[in-house]
Amino acid sequence: MQITFWGVRGSIPAPGPETVGYGGNTICLEILTEAGKRVILDAGSGLSVLGSRLLAEAFGKGQGEAAIVLSHAHMDHIQGFPFFAPIYIPGNRFTIYGGEQSPGRLERIFEGQMDPNFSPIHSLKNLGANIEFHALRGKGPVKIEGLDVSWRKNPHGSTSALAFRIEEEGRTLVYASDAGYGRAGVPEDAVAFYRGAKLLVHDCTYFPEDYEMRVNRGFSSIEHAADAAVRAQVKALAMIHYDQDYSDEDVDRLAIALRRMLDERGGVGIQLISSREGQTLRI
Amino acid sequence: MKVKFWGVRGSIPVPGPDTIRYGGNTSCVEVVPGDGTTLIIDAGTGIRKLGKQLMRGASGRGEGDIHLLISHTHWDHIQGLPFFAPLYRSGNRITLYAREQDDKHLDMVLRSATEDPYFPVPFDAAQATVSFRELREGDSFGVGACQVRCARLNHPWIALGYRIQDGDRAVAYVSDTAPFVDLILERDFIAAPPRPGESPSEEDQAKLAKMEIDLVELCRGCQFVVFDTMFSLAEYRQRPHWGHSAPEHAVEILRRAGVGRLALYHHGPTRTDAQMDEVVAEARRNAPDMEIVGAAELTEFEV
Repeated sequence: MQITFWGVRGSIPAPGPETVGYGGNTICLEILTEAGKRVILDAGSGLSVLGSRLLAEAFGKGQGEAAIVLSHAHMDHIQGFPFFAPIYIPGNRFTIYGGEQSPGRLERIFEGQMDPNFSPIHSLKNLGANIEFHALRGKGPVKIEGLDVSWRKNPHGSTSALAFRIEEEGRTLVYASDAGYGRAGVPEDAVAFYRGAKLLVHDCTYFPEDYEMRVNRGFSSIEHAADAAVRAQVKALAMIHYDQDYSDEDVDRLAIALRRMLDERGGVGIQLISSREGQTLRI
Repeated sequence: MKVKFWGVRGSIPVPGPDTIRYGGNTSCVEVVPGDGTTLIIDAGTGIRKLGKQLMRGASGRGEGDIHLLISHTHWDHIQGLPFFAPLYRSGNRITLYAREQDDKHLDMVLRSATEDPYFPVPFDAAQATVSFRELREGDSFGVGACQVRCARLNHPWIALGYRIQDGDRAVAYVSDTAPFVDLILERDFIAAPPRPGESPSEEDQAKLAKMEIDLVELCRGCQFVVFDTMFSLAEYRQRPHWGHSAPEHAVEILRRAGVGRLALYHHGPTRTDAQMDEVVAEARRNAPDMEIVGAAELTEFEV
């Protein structure tokens, strides 16, 4: 599968010259499967950029189909949706998956986003594309666009966010954004869920010293990412969800610090990717 | 009086190398009158960096007294509010102003924007003392030594434009609005532009005419007007029902109001810096009698 990062920033889009290198858009990843199908992980502002690219393909003619899989519904993971151009083109089909109790609850989250107080769209019924909602109950696996997808709940502040294990032909991508393990660190069942991934995309919001002041916010320090990657014996680790206040130089330093942590913990062989907007990886 | 732009973009923040000069943050303007009162108009993502700056002053000591005028509550005008640092410092006083809604109180609207599952920190977690003031078009009120007045704009779900008068100096903020000709934008969802030859009802035409006159009066005698010019004329003709103007519409209102200085604002999210340069150059060619600037993040103007 091919994975492209369209948004790597956490919490709020952070435009400006200081973030141009890694990018200021909030979370959105695109998976293109070996069979040419498309799964989108989270719908942050990066989704808007992906949407304008997709118009050149079947989505521009109303013949596109994709799944949108959400870790959770905080704004930085859904704010790109109203600006995802393909949803306005009749004929396109989207299935939105989320960890809510029912498809109705998931749908109401998006309906609320379109509320006329906040959006000129007023309602999902004014979108042109066909949109279905699917609640992810239990832990999977389910087939999504031909991929085997299972999930687990990671603590995320006062709520939880889903991490996903996504497999195709024996190759495994794990996506764990917004993982707030807290002082107890990465639990054994999370390590087991991440185990053996070819690529682990993991929350890398903070330097350890910044984390100390923000333990309850529901994000990871790079120490958690290093610990998870080494213990789960993954092949490669990709950083995601950089703090909105981190400049490109800060993220450079974050990557250097994380590399050292991996090496010190016995993860010398783990490839480290400091994800940037527009970057594509293959596994 | 000083006017500083913190976010100039419409619809959605657009980070990236193509928007560095004009900026990718959504709507937020700071107005600093002679007495130093903190006046902010709109709380798009640009307000995050403004908040950091305010925290280096009185707001950082819990002594901030901030007046935030909201044109309307569409996401691109409020999405930065939860990231506005002075909210989380006790002692600060923050007054939010926006138009009264028929069915909901302003605090309920803003609370629901940050409640579960959309945001981890509820509005009630703000340590600052937050108060809400609901406005109707035509209202006039004092903020510090300034007099603030509002007028209704032509935008879905209704937006307000503001005039801030500081002694003999005045600035107006007019965003978001369509011109007052082709259709009236209120509570209904309008899916498509009017058909050719279709014009508003007589009643709506009368309402539009009054809105336009009121806006001209709002701008009258201002030394500086910030105006929603998200569209080109061609784009406006395709999407008059979206509620935005082209530079030509802004120039027409300002000429009638006797205003000679215009900031193009609320730039379309797909406009690159190079395209923005072109938009500004064309607006200047079309109105050589007027001083026109393209609003750019972190630039400031003495009024």
